[in-house]
Amino acid sequence: MVDAALSALGSLAQPSLLVMLLIGVVAGLVMGLIPGLGGTGAVAILIPVTFGMEPEQAFALLIGALAVVHTSDTVSAVLLGAPGSASASVTMLDGYSMARQGQAKRALSLAFLSSMAGGIIGAIGLTLAIPLARPLVLSFASPELFMLTVLGVALAAVLSRGNVVKGVLAGLLGLLLGMVGTSPTTAEERFTFGSLFLSDGLSLVAVALGVFGLAEIATRVGQRRAPSTPITLEGGWFSGIREWLTHWTQVIRGSLIGIWAGVLPGVGATAGTWLAYGQAVATSKDKRKFGKGDPRGIVGPESANNSVEAGDLIPTLLFGIPGGVPSAMLLGMLLTYGIQPGPAIVSEHLNLLYLIIWCFAIASVVGAFLCFLGTPTLAKLTKVPFAVLGPGLLVVMLLGAFQESGQLGDLWVMVVLGVVGWLMKATDTPRAPFLIGFVLAIPMERYYYLTSSLNDGVGWLARPWVIVFLAVLVGPALWALFKWARGRRALAADDRHGPTAELAVHEEESEEGFLKDSPWSLGLAVAATFVFVAGFVASTGFSPEARLLPQLVCAVGLAFALVLLGKEVVGRTRWQPSGEAVRSAVLVATKTFALMAVFLVLVMVLGYLAAVLLFVPAYLLWMARARPRTTVIYGAALGTLLLVLPSLIPVDLPTGLLG
Amino acid sequence: MTIVVAHTATPEGAAALAAAVDAAVLRRSPVVVVSGEDPTAPPTVEDLLAGSETLARTVRDAGVSVEVRRSALPDAPDAVLQAAQELEAELLVIGVRRRSPVGKLFLGSTAQRILLDAQAPVLAVKA
Repeated sequence: MVDAALSALGSLAQPSLLVMLLIGVVAGLVMGLIPGLGGTGAVAILIPVTFGMEPEQAFALLIGALAVVHTSDTVSAVLLGAPGSASASVTMLDGYSMARQGQAKRALSLAFLSSMAGGIIGAIGLTLAIPLARPLVLSFASPELFMLTVLGVALAAVLSRGNVVKGVLAGLLGLLLGMVGTSPTTAEERFTFGSLFLSDGLSLVAVALGVFGLAEIATRVGQRRAPSTPITLEGGWFSGIREWLTHWTQVIRGSLIGIWAGVLPGVGATAGTWLAYGQAVATSKDKRKFGKGDPRGIVGPESANNSVEAGDLIPTLLFGIPGGVPSAMLLGMLLTYGIQPGPAIVSEHLNLLYLIIWCFAIASVVGAFLCFLGTPTLAKLTKVPFAVLGPGLLVVMLLGAFQESGQLGDLWVMVVLGVVGWLMKATDTPRAPFLIGFVLAIPMERYYYLTSSLNDGVGWLARPWVIVFLAVLVGPALWALFKWARGRRALAADDRHGPTAELAVHEEESEEGFLKDSPWSLGLAVAATFVFVAGFVASTGFSPEARLLPQLVCAVGLAFALVLLGKEVVGRTRWQPSGEAVRSAVLVATKTFALMAVFLVLVMVLGYLAAVLLFVPAYLLWMARARPRTTVIYGAALGTLLLVLPSLIPVDLPTGLLG
Repeated sequence: MTIVVAHTATPEGAAALAAAVDAAVLRRSPVVVVSGEDPTAPPTVEDLLAGSETLARTVRDAGVSVEVRRSALPDAPDAVLQAAQELEAELLVIGVRRRSPVGKLFLGSTAQRILLDAQAPVLAVKA
C-alpha cells in the first residue's frame, strides 16, 4: 500500500497532472469567492471541462478546486461581512469583527493557515481511513452495498435539517428523478413519455447546476448589499503566522471535528464549521471575546471547513455513500468512468485513490499560498455585485451543462429544476438529499437486483453488516417515534443542545426559508403528492422487475407527502401574509427564471454566441442597471471567450436554427 | 454588578425572570436578559414584561433596570456565559425543568452546561 501511495505521488510529477491541479486550484479559489457557488457549484461547473479527460487528470482538476473552495470564501466574509458560502458565515463572526478593528490581515492569515492545515490533516485522515476500512469494504457484497445506498439517502435526509419529513421527501423525489430513463435491469424505458432525449436519463450536471446553481442565482441576483465601511488591508502577515502556531490545539481539534462531520452522509461544511465553533467556545474558559474578534473563533472553524471536504471523501470513495453534495457529484463522475466506489476502488484503483489524497493535500498548501499572494486581487473581485456576475455565471453554467450530451433539452431541464430548487430553498426543504437520491438511484436498483438474483429469498437480510445498517437506518426513526408518542411533541429549548440537534444546521442554505409555512409550502406538498401518485400509476405499465423500485419509492413517498400535507394544513395557522421583502424576492426570482427561458429560446433560434451577445448586455443594462461601459466590456469579454474557448478545450456551442 | 438571566418562553423561563427581578430589588443591581432559545434574536423588554402584570409593576415601582442583550453567538449556554463573563455578573439565574431519569441520560441541557461552567453563583429556579 505504501508503494501505491508513493507511485501515486510519482505520477503527479507528470506536468499535465500538475497543470490540471493548478488550474483546479485557481478555479476553486475564484469560485469560492462567488457567493452561493461553493464546492457544489465549483465541481458542477468543472465537470463538463473534464469530459474526454483521463480519470487522473479529471480528478486532479476537481479535487484541486474542491480542496480550496473553503480557503477563499473567507476573503469576502472577512473583508465585506458577506460570506461566500454558508460555512464562511462562521468565520465572519470573529473574522469580520477583527477586520473592523483594523486587523484584517491577521484574520486572513489565521484563516488561510488554518484552511491549509485543515486540508492536510483531512488528507491524512483519509489516508488512515483506507487501511482501516479496506478489510471491511472488501467483505462487502451486493446486499451490504444495497443497504449502504439506502442508508446514504436516509442519513442525508435525516441529518441535513431539523425538518426530517421534508428531507425524506426530497430524497425520495431525487430517487424518482434518478429513475427517469432506461431501467438498469430490463433496459425498459421508464417515465420517458416516449421522448428519446429522456431515455438516456437526466444529466447529473444539469440537475446539480439547476437545483443549486440556477436557484442560487435567482435568489441572490436581487439582493443589494448594504454599503459598508470599506476595510483596508492592514497589519502584517507575519504576526498572524506566529500567532497561528500558538493555537495548534484548536487547529487539530477543528480538523478532527471537520473530518467526523464530513464522514456523516449529507452533513457538510456548514454543519461541521458550526460544530467546530461551538466546541471552541464551549471549551474555552474566557468566552468574552468570541464574536468580537477572538482568534480561536477563526482557527478551529476554518480548519474544520476544509477538512470536512476531505472527510466527505471517506464514505464517498470507500463506501459509495456521498458525504456531501460535491462528493455526490464526484461519485457520479466515478460511475461515469466505470469506477465503482467501495471494493473495486480499493483493490483495482488504489492508485487513483492515493492520487486524490495527494492532490487534496497539495492543493490545500498551494491554495493557501496563492491566497496570501493574491488577497488584494481577490478582495477586488468580491466587490463586484452579484447582479453583474449573474449573467456571466448563467452563461458558463448553461454551456457546461450542454457539454454532456449536446442537447438543448438538458438546458431546459436545468431551468425547470432551477425553479424547483428555488422553491425548495424558499420553503426550507433541503436540497442535498434530493441530489444524493438522484445520484444513488441507479446504483441502488442495480445492487438490489444483484442481491435478489444472487441470493435466494430474504436470507441476505441476516448478514451481520446488513443487520447493523438496518439498525442504523431504523433505530433513530423508531426512537423519534417513541419520543413523539410519549407526548413530547414540542422540542423544548433545552433539547436543542443535544449532539444530534447540533447537526441539524442549515446545509448549503444560507438564508431562512422565507416561504416556510406559506401557501407555497402547502403547494409543494400537494405537488409532491401528485408526483408520487402519478409515478405509481405510471409504473404499473412496466414489467415487474422494472416497476419494483419505482413503486416502492412512490409508495413511501406518498406516505411522507401525506404526512407533510397534514403538517402544512395544521401549520397554516402560523402563517402571516407575506411582507414586502418576501414579495419582491418572489418577483425577482420569477423575472430571473423568465429571462432564463427567454435566453434559451434565443439560443434555440440564434445559436449560443449570438444569443449571449444579445442577452447579456440587455440583462446588464435592464436588470442589473450597470453602466454602459461595464456592459460593453463585459459583453465583449464574454463574446471573445466564447469564440476562443472551443479551440482551447473541447466545448461545443449550441447552434440554433439560424446558426 | 449585574444579574444575568437566561430567559426562555416557558414557565421555567418566566420564573427565572421573576426570580432575577426579585434578586435585583434586594441587591439594587440591573438585570440583563439573554435569550436561552435564540441569543441572536431575543425578545424585547416589552415582550418580557407583557407576560406578567405583577412583574411589570415590581419593575416599575422598584425602579429595576431591565435590559435585553443580543449576542453574536447562536449557542445559548455560550451566549449566557459570555455575557456573564463580560459583565462580571454577580448572579446568574436560570430556569430548570423537571426531567425523567431517561431524559437526564439522553438529552443535552442548557441549564447543566451553564451550571457547570459558570464562574458566578447560579440561581436555578423551578416553575
